[in-house]
Amino acid sequence: MSRLRNSRLGTFVGRQESVLLLILLAYGLLVGTVNPTFYKLDNLFQIIRASAGTMILAMGALVVLASGGIDVSFTAVAIFGGYATVRIMMASGIDNILFAFALSGIFGMVLGATNALVIHRFRLQTLIATLGTQSIFVGVMTLIFGTKFVPVGDMPDSIVWFGTEPMLTLTMPGGAARLTWFVVPMILMIVLTWFLLNRTLIGRTVYAMGSSREATERAGAALWKTQAFIYMYVGMLAGFMGIVYTAHVRSLNPISLVGDELFVIAAVVLGGAKLTGGVGTVSGTVLGVLIITTLQTTLILIGLSSSWMRFFVGGILLISVSIMAIRTNRENLRNLIFHSE
Amino acid sequence: MQPRTIHLTKLFLLLSAFVIVALLIYGMFGSRFYNTRNLISMGFQVGEFAFLCMAMAIAMLTGGIDLSIVSNMNLAGILAAYVLTNEALLAGTSVGTVLLLAVTVALVSGLAGGILNGLIIAKIGVHSVLTTIGTMMLFAGFGMILTGGRGVVGFPDAFSYVGNGTLLGIPFPFLLMLLFFAAVGFLLKRSRWGRSLYLYGSNPIASKFSGINNAGTIVTTYALAGLLTGISALIMISRTNSARVGYGESYLLQAIVVSVMGTMDPHGGSGRFSGILVSVILLQLLSSAFTRLGITPFARGLVYGSILLLIIIAYETLAGRSVTIGKERPPRAAGRPVDSM
Repeated sequence: MSRLRNSRLGTFVGRQESVLLLILLAYGLLVGTVNPTFYKLDNLFQIIRASAGTMILAMGALVVLASGGIDVSFTAVAIFGGYATVRIMMASGIDNILFAFALSGIFGMVLGATNALVIHRFRLQTLIATLGTQSIFVGVMTLIFGTKFVPVGDMPDSIVWFGTEPMLTLTMPGGAARLTWFVVPMILMIVLTWFLLNRTLIGRTVYAMGSSREATERAGAALWKTQAFIYMYVGMLAGFMGIVYTAHVRSLNPISLVGDELFVIAAVVLGGAKLTGGVGTVSGTVLGVLIITTLQTTLILIGLSSSWMRFFVGGILLISVSIMAIRTNRENLRNLIFHSE
Repeated sequence: MQPRTIHLTKLFLLLSAFVIVALLIYGMFGSRFYNTRNLISMGFQVGEFAFLCMAMAIAMLTGGIDLSIVSNMNLAGILAAYVLTNEALLAGTSVGTVLLLAVTVALVSGLAGGILNGLIIAKIGVHSVLTTIGTMMLFAGFGMILTGGRGVVGFPDAFSYVGNGTLLGIPFPFLLMLLFFAAVGFLLKRSRWGRSLYLYGSNPIASKFSGINNAGTIVTTYALAGLLTGISALIMISRTNSARVGYGESYLLQAIVVSVMGTMDPHGGSGRFSGILVSVILLQLLSSAFTRLGITPFARGLVYGSILLLIIIAYETLAGRSVTIGKERPPRAAGRPVDSM
């Protein structure tokens, strides 16, 4: 459907992003008016720090959504990668942050390859297949590595360092603002994903596949290769996120994270990606994640308990997808396309 | 021996799996498992879950999915629990009136949630996955705002009959389940709504142009799913004597497992409703056997995830073929859907 509108795609997505930016600014203004302490550089840095993990996962989710699939197993992959890596580092005594990223990334790629294999070989619906593998991954992790909580004292030093050592400290009149190292992988992953989606053949194939699988296959693209790439890439990002998450909370509960995948998907969809594939941008996703993280971190500043968070995210998601759907339906009607979605 | 041809329908495969599992459990536990007391206890446990499965199954028949069932159930349960624990109401009126009011509140709440899903999907044209992710957060968020995450406990004794009572020695929730299986099954097979639902599920455009009110079909289907969820809420809060956000989150995956195993095609339009009943009982047998074997929740997730994938793969590769016993003949090729979501 979206390929019929290719000429207008640019302006359409552009509009979605400007709306998001406006929402973000308006909300910032609201929070700042209610609570003037919000206007501090440290708060901005805190939002960036808090969004790092979600951002990395969202980049992966964007690639899957652009290809017309939906993955709900990436949080399980992230916790698998993070927990397995920390336990291996604790057991082996290897204490190096690059090793942690490499190992967790490899775990993620292996699990991602499993997803790709199951989905492609048996042509399963991606949602149902990844719901299955999500439980399988968590189950396998607990069978191999157990369910023991890792407190901050047992955490490898390099990971604690990575989560606490400031990369950049700005001294302001109101106090010092610190940016930790783990924003580096976040920025790298955003740039990498943007490059892959917009400047490489595989990225264009991902979008093409999301628009029409059949046309893409007839154009000569090897769908299984694309699919293997997509799910391994998502897995790798999830593996990286597992380490970023561990560094952020500095302790590790193996039953955390799973369940949060819906917030990540909500952020990506808020950013303009469509469940039916072919549409979605990196900049929209970045804004979507920032809106959701800002909401998560600032509700307390405007005097609402964190209980309101899910309610707001759900509401915003529904309103935003409804507006997008109404717009698409109008265009479809004009083009005599009768199928909704 | 006379050659006999057996058509491998999904229902046939499901029934075969049921017999194998039932015999395996007999082999492992014998009459320690198959005794009156254990069967009655299983009859109680299956109640609330069966209603969630029915809700998921009819949503799947439309080619959609309802991810909001568990949070809709919890919200309905919480609202009913507030009625049941209201001191002023209990002091002012008879227990019977309070019970009737609580039942009404749960059913109306579930129904309203379902209608909201249906309206967003049918009237606005948002994909069912996104709609129900959004409403799932909305319902859970609303429950969270109401309760602050705490449980609502302590109901009148008479209310415990809904989830714990027996009629002629048979668990009341089990009887209720059979009643609704018969009623919904009858509606699907014999009513105008049921036939439109199957037609919409297999081809929404054909159904639109044959003069069927597609939006009406969708709204009634999700409304019925919501109503069934409301009934499961009543059984759930009666059985546990409490209501809180986040109860029974593992039911979501299990309800999808039951629906897919129970012959529903996730692409919509085909599935035997009687398969859901067999599938629910099969999963309950497994679940009770796991409890006896002392299997952890994570390992259970692993098993349910694996069952989900194996069942889909078995259906995709085997269903639709025929085997001939007594004479060698190559099986007929299976037609399978190419589309993946």
